[in-house]
Amino acid sequence: MAFERELFFKDADAAARSGYVIRAVDVRKVYRMGDTETHALRGATVDIIRGEYLSIMGPSGSGKSTLFNMIGGLDKPTAGKVYIDQVDIAQLDPFELAWLRCRKVGYIFQSYNLIQVMSCIENVMLPMAFAGLDGEESREKALMILERVGLGGRALHKPAEMSGGQQQRVAIARALANTPDILLADEPTANLDLRTGEEIIKLFRTLCDELGVTVITATHDLKMLKTSDRIMWIEDGLISKITTPEEMELHIDEIH
Amino acid sequence: MKHDKIGTQVKLPMGRAVQIAVQGIRIRLGRSMVTVSGVVLGIAFLMSNVAGQLISDALSRERETRQIVTLMEALVRNEVGTAAGKTLAVTVHGDLERTERLFMERVAKMPFAAVRVSGANIDRGVSATPQNVAEGAYLLLVLGQQQNIPVDLETLISGMNHVGVLDAVANRTYAGQAPRAGVKRDLLFGKETQEQMERMREHAAQARFRTVWVAIISLLVTIISISNALLMSVTERIREIGTMKCLGALSAFIRRMFLIESAFIGFAGSLAGMVLGALIPLIIYGWIFGFGLMFGEISFVRFGVACLGCVVVGTLLAMIAAIYPANFAARMVPASALRSNV
Repeated sequence: MAFERELFFKDADAAARSGYVIRAVDVRKVYRMGDTETHALRGATVDIIRGEYLSIMGPSGSGKSTLFNMIGGLDKPTAGKVYIDQVDIAQLDPFELAWLRCRKVGYIFQSYNLIQVMSCIENVMLPMAFAGLDGEESREKALMILERVGLGGRALHKPAEMSGGQQQRVAIARALANTPDILLADEPTANLDLRTGEEIIKLFRTLCDELGVTVITATHDLKMLKTSDRIMWIEDGLISKITTPEEMELHIDEIH
Repeated sequence: MKHDKIGTQVKLPMGRAVQIAVQGIRIRLGRSMVTVSGVVLGIAFLMSNVAGQLISDALSRERETRQIVTLMEALVRNEVGTAAGKTLAVTVHGDLERTERLFMERVAKMPFAAVRVSGANIDRGVSATPQNVAEGAYLLLVLGQQQNIPVDLETLISGMNHVGVLDAVANRTYAGQAPRAGVKRDLLFGKETQEQMERMREHAAQARFRTVWVAIISLLVTIISISNALLMSVTERIREIGTMKCLGALSAFIRRMFLIESAFIGFAGSLAGMVLGALIPLIIYGWIFGFGLMFGEISFVRFGVACLGCVVVGTLLAMIAAIYPANFAARMVPASALRSNV
């Protein structure tokens, strides 16, 4: 399996056939705080292949969260372009942008960002409501997704009554609510212990393989890196290299 | 559609927004109650000040009314002496004031031999026409709010035994009519009485000004208290708004949802605040001064308008106070809303 995947992504033709789901071209982002300017991104260019599992790796403050926000359409770049499915997202009106966030992309955050006052199932049903789906139909679908992430029995619990790993699973279920093409996860395992983190990573891998969802995670969790198809290294607002996990291991071996 | 791969987000119907807003209030009931109590306090403050003013106005009016009635009764006793064996005539033109009604009730209880009445119904009164009402009477009372009586007073008093005319309408004088010997006129409304009435009107005007002033000050305090409650309740949810935008909520929907939510909170809070703010001064003033004295002159129309006004003001204020933070949060790019640490 791993061997096949490697073949697949090293084959340029295959990549072209499957298409790029997200392309970022020379994306720059400057934050202004009073008189000081912070260059979070200084010209990042990346092509993300449909159906791949990509990890964005970099130390904190390197700009990986910023890049994550840019390619997910959560923030506007100061310069450069982001294309999702060949569409320049800067050209989208608010309705199209909301549609994109609702159905095309599922977001997962380090701090889960669940709505605390809502039960698990209500959290999962919320994006469905925004997509115009409600009533029994959305309840059934939400329950099905919760079962898929292994939380079928806890649908009516509130986030505060659950462990971090369980909360992150609810967040994943919510991200999957409208069957998105892309799953964007910003340090999804940073707040979790080792074993729970591993389970979440396994879940991502399964979703990627079985549903064909493109998974993009910003992380510095080494286990996450080994599971992904490609690893993008970001340093000081620039993409320094893109490697496969095997190359990375080689790299680490060299250091040792 | 401009792009074949990107669709347009559906606009959720109003009913769905109301449903989500109501659900939002219900599931965070505890926090909503804190916000509601902010509105309750603000409106209760406004309402109790306005109600207190209305009640104290009513009390002072009632006290004045009773003073006038006592004064008028004293004048009648002074003029008549012993009522026994004498006839009283009462002619009414136009509507009776409350003062005049109370006065008539008192006079009717005096031991006159007969009471001749035109234009009104008085206990133990004998009906007469406006022309012959004063025949054989000892004293004539001219009551009612109509300024010009259609009957010539000279003709009227010519049939009286002893001529005494008491007119209860403040501004009525009989200037221009030559007084006959022994005719006593303007018993009540001599110069002193005129001045007293003038003072009372001044007091009333001052009280009205005080009412308006207190209402304005209370309104300002209420505005601040309600805006603060709503501002906090929306601002502390900016992260949640950011999350909702990530999940595909339209800015307009978020704005609308918060507007509906704050309208509900504002309405519930002002209703409770209005009841609280109306009851407390009613009970306290009633307890101290007696309920009879308080309800005598109170204007239920003005009181009702104050109640309605407080509810409308509270609901509108809550909505206006929520517009700014909701608008601000809805327009934020999701990334900044998620970073917010309020």
